[in-house]
Amino acid sequence: MNAHPWRQRLYHLVLWVVALAFFMPVLWIFLAAFKSSGELVSPNPVFLFRPTMDNIIRVVQEPNFLDYLRMSFILSIGSVVIAIAVAFLAAYSFSRYRPTGTNFIMFLLLSTRMVPAPAVVLPIFLMYTALGWAKTFHGMILFYVMFSIPFSLWILKGFLDGVSLRYDETALVNGGSRLHTMFRVVLPQVKPGLVAAFIFNIIFVWNEFLFNYILGGQGTTMIPVLLATGVKQGGMTDWSFIAAISFIYMLPLILAIYVFQRYLLVGMTFGTVRGEV
Amino acid sequence: MAQTTFPAETPAAASYQQARRRLPMARALDETRAFPVILIGPVLVFFIVWNVVPLLWLLGVSFYQYKLTSARPAEYIQFENFIDIWRASEVWGLLGRTLSFMLLTVGGATLLGMLLGFLFWGSGKLPGRRLALTLLFTPMVLPPVAVGTFYRLILDPIFGIANFFTEKLIGQRFDFLGNKDLAFATTIAVDVWMWTPFMILMTLAALASVPKAELEAAEIDQIPWLKRIWYVILPNGKFILMLGILLRTIDAFKTTDLPYLMTNGGPGNTTEFVGLSLYRTGFEAFQMGEASALAIITLLIAIAFASIYLYVLSYRETRAQLQ
Repeated sequence: MNAHPWRQRLYHLVLWVVALAFFMPVLWIFLAAFKSSGELVSPNPVFLFRPTMDNIIRVVQEPNFLDYLRMSFILSIGSVVIAIAVAFLAAYSFSRYRPTGTNFIMFLLLSTRMVPAPAVVLPIFLMYTALGWAKTFHGMILFYVMFSIPFSLWILKGFLDGVSLRYDETALVNGGSRLHTMFRVVLPQVKPGLVAAFIFNIIFVWNEFLFNYILGGQGTTMIPVLLATGVKQGGMTDWSFIAAISFIYMLPLILAIYVFQRYLLVGMTFGTVRGEV
Repeated sequence: MAQTTFPAETPAAASYQQARRRLPMARALDETRAFPVILIGPVLVFFIVWNVVPLLWLLGVSFYQYKLTSARPAEYIQFENFIDIWRASEVWGLLGRTLSFMLLTVGGATLLGMLLGFLFWGSGKLPGRRLALTLLFTPMVLPPVAVGTFYRLILDPIFGIANFFTEKLIGQRFDFLGNKDLAFATTIAVDVWMWTPFMILMTLAALASVPKAELEAAEIDQIPWLKRIWYVILPNGKFILMLGILLRTIDAFKTTDLPYLMTNGGPGNTTEFVGLSLYRTGFEAFQMGEASALAIITLLIAIAFASIYLYVLSYRETRAQLQ
């Protein structure tokens, strides 16, 4: 296509149009966050308007919102950090020592992420109620750790399998302890895996709704529950409120896709397909 | 791993011994043969407490008539919950509806995604490619709850922008989410919108896995495009595509949040799929026994999916090793 610059330009234009077409609905909500509530529910959609910050300011001043947003950050980052630390140890063992049952455990962990969320949360709910862990912070965060482990383990084991055994051998022969070998020699080799596991697990927890809705309570609620109850409580839905929350909550995700685009493939395929787009 | 031993006088051996004396903790770890098991320990604890125990719990409850809100104690009824599910026509309707939803949404996203994936194949020199791909891939990382919420606004019969366009184009307004005949199709359309980018991503990955030399050879031989796709691209790319389709199928089976927010399963139960039905039985009707039995069935289906997925994955890996 290099022979025809205008053809290439047309091709590029088509690509941009497709990309924008997929983004349109999101853009419409982002615009809605800056409209007055009258413009928002007008039967004739308003395309040109004077942007107002009122919605954003109103949402940010809502005491619940900041608490929930803070909890979104704490729960997603906290649980993923624990999950990755724990998963790295196991992934190292699975990759280097291949104990009996490795494949079976990996398989079971993978299948736990393929069950519909209500089927997962049902027994946990019964268990938490019996143990008194429902609506507690540690119950919530530990659940999300378990939620993040399978993916972290798969992704890290995939990357560790790609690191040559020579690294371990060289480190051990030169007098390094096993812990030194693991953390100082092998760990730096799987940095891309760590980044991918980190980002995508955070995204999954960040987006999660049902577990938080059922198991969480006062003090452990995240934004998605606020969104859902905002629509579900009946009566008139406060759309400018919803639009402003959506805008604030989805912006970091889009930013993450932009910054970490290299890891998108491995992140969205559970670490089973590696490569770059 | 085999312990390497040195003659005592080499400098390497000396530093090795020295390092070991310095770190008694690390040394103890090095000596023990339980090291691999210790590493797995934390994950195993999580696995047992959050997976094995709840699973047994679920299995147990599924043999009881157990309503959470009723004062009556749980009653042991053996397999009656399962027999009820087997006999109930609603459950078969539910599974059928879920299956047709899965087929249509996965089929739609796959077709559209493959077409657009091919389109984006030569996008290497696209100005602002990173931003364009970000916009393109955004739908699949959004919270399903937010998507379900904002589509209610977009598809609203009175002030939704979708109706503004349908009225301009065909002069008619639709109640996309409230109409019995439209809600199912609308749910599929939104799901296809959300997941087509994923299939584009997988198609691009599949295309990237085709060796450049084979493509160049096909180019030189002027092989027609259909043959090129069939003989050059598919044999190399089909595994990644299959993994993508399988992951989509599994995810479509799990769909809960999106219909819960967008239509709440309605109107009637036209958009109620397995996930949502489970949620309603368990957390709206509080029929824990019945919900557990249904959960066990979905669990078995999920395990079947996982086995197929791993089968394809390992098949691909063995094939890659042979080459």
